[in-house]
Amino acid sequence: MNARTCQIPDPRPQLAEGSQSTIAGWQCASCRHPLALPAPWCPLCHGPLETTTWGPGGTTWAATVLRVPLPGRTPPMMLAYIDLDEGPRVLGHLTSETNERPECGTRVRLIGVTAAGDLLFAPNQDDS
Amino acid sequence: MDAYVWGVGTSEFGKQPHRSASELLWTAVAEALRDAEIDRPDAVFVGTCFGEPGIAQRALHRMGITGLPISVLENACASSTQAFHEACVAVSSGRFDTVLVVGVEHLTSRFSGAIPVEQTDTEGRTGLGLPALYAMAAARYQDVYGVSAEDLAAVSVKNHAHGVHNSRAQHRTAVTLEEVLGSRMIADPLTLLQCCAIADGAGAAVIGATRRSQRDVAVLSSAFNTGELWDHRSANVWGYDLVARTAGQAYAAAGCSITDIDVLEMHDAFTIGEIVTTEALGMAPTGEGAALASSGHTSLGGKQPVNPSGGLLSRGHPLGATGTAQLAELVWQLRGDAGARQVPDARLALLETMGGGAAGIDGNACVVAVLGM
Repeated sequence: MNARTCQIPDPRPQLAEGSQSTIAGWQCASCRHPLALPAPWCPLCHGPLETTTWGPGGTTWAATVLRVPLPGRTPPMMLAYIDLDEGPRVLGHLTSETNERPECGTRVRLIGVTAAGDLLFAPNQDDS
Repeated sequence: MDAYVWGVGTSEFGKQPHRSASELLWTAVAEALRDAEIDRPDAVFVGTCFGEPGIAQRALHRMGITGLPISVLENACASSTQAFHEACVAVSSGRFDTVLVVGVEHLTSRFSGAIPVEQTDTEGRTGLGLPALYAMAAARYQDVYGVSAEDLAAVSVKNHAHGVHNSRAQHRTAVTLEEVLGSRMIADPLTLLQCCAIADGAGAAVIGATRRSQRDVAVLSSAFNTGELWDHRSANVWGYDLVARTAGQAYAAAGCSITDIDVLEMHDAFTIGEIVTTEALGMAPTGEGAALASSGHTSLGGKQPVNPSGGLLSRGHPLGATGTAQLAELVWQLRGDAGARQVPDARLALLETMGGGAAGIDGNACVVAVLGM
């Protein structure tokens, strides 16, 4: 993590307090639109937001393996958009023993965050 | 819309650390002013993504272009396309008689390597740059629609073949399917030769409110939008819906459909980008756009050539300057001045640029314009 990163508030979804398998989130009290990031009101209907949690289960919408370095990160990194069950779509990292990207639709579960603070998912062997 | 392109110009494109942003801009602006046969516009609209504060005035005052309104616009890769759009609106509404549009980017002086991911952005902070974002789309197309690695690579082969004929392009060497697939993997399934290279460059155009000669190109329509929310409800890949919505507005305003278009310049920052964009523009049903390149439909000599300039994959991608480079190519095509890459009898052209980068929406900006003689 470089000096510039340290000065910037973390824009990523955060784990729920005391949990490694759920995300602190919000849901519109009016239209039930789910959010993983803070907002002043529901972006769909401008209704009030209630706090909630999302996870741990989700489905891979798309995934890739980044094979070139980024500052402060070591490739390969497996990244995926995950549609959390009944919840929002979030971007996270995936654990992998093979570095082969999982197909769209693969079931995963949230297991915490990486050392860099990214949401971390693992294949859900019991829920495929 | 009462707007006409009177003149265009560009610099060469590629890594040019020995030339300043001002020098690149001077080349493009001087050519455009000569082409338009004017000395001075009423206003200047500039598009740049990573240009430093004052980049336009720093360059333009040494051309004697001072004491007039200069506006600088940023919308990622669509920055100068938006500048073009705003110029067309401005002259069409009577605000100005002539507007000079400028796109400029000097990436080699801003970054020592690849463009860094934006740390204030959710996706950027998580390690997702645009190559990986487009790779996600390509992976989705592979899994859902059965698009093959060869289908993706065919776009790169086509656009590099086009770029051979463009003396201003960054890469002017044809590549084979095997070379594309064998190049270094960047983000699965996109290999190096399926990703545009960063470049330095500038483009310019003079937009006027009237048609003065047969060389002036009519702007039949121009549409500009920002993306809607892209979230768990979104069935299409990032960017698709924004391009489709914007194109629909451009077609309606021009009174045409995609089948009327003879030649297109579009945002092929990555091979999958061209495939998705052709579908969003209506050239093929969703999931079937990959066949357009491999069948020859979008090649020079095909029914609707896409990116005869070589596109971003061959010409290079100086982000904020790309829109004006695309515009210049289409003006040359419509005038019949495109040389070895000329599309025969091109009468109607479509310009599309997509700019992205902010997480949570379907793209920062998209411009679609229809041009005609």
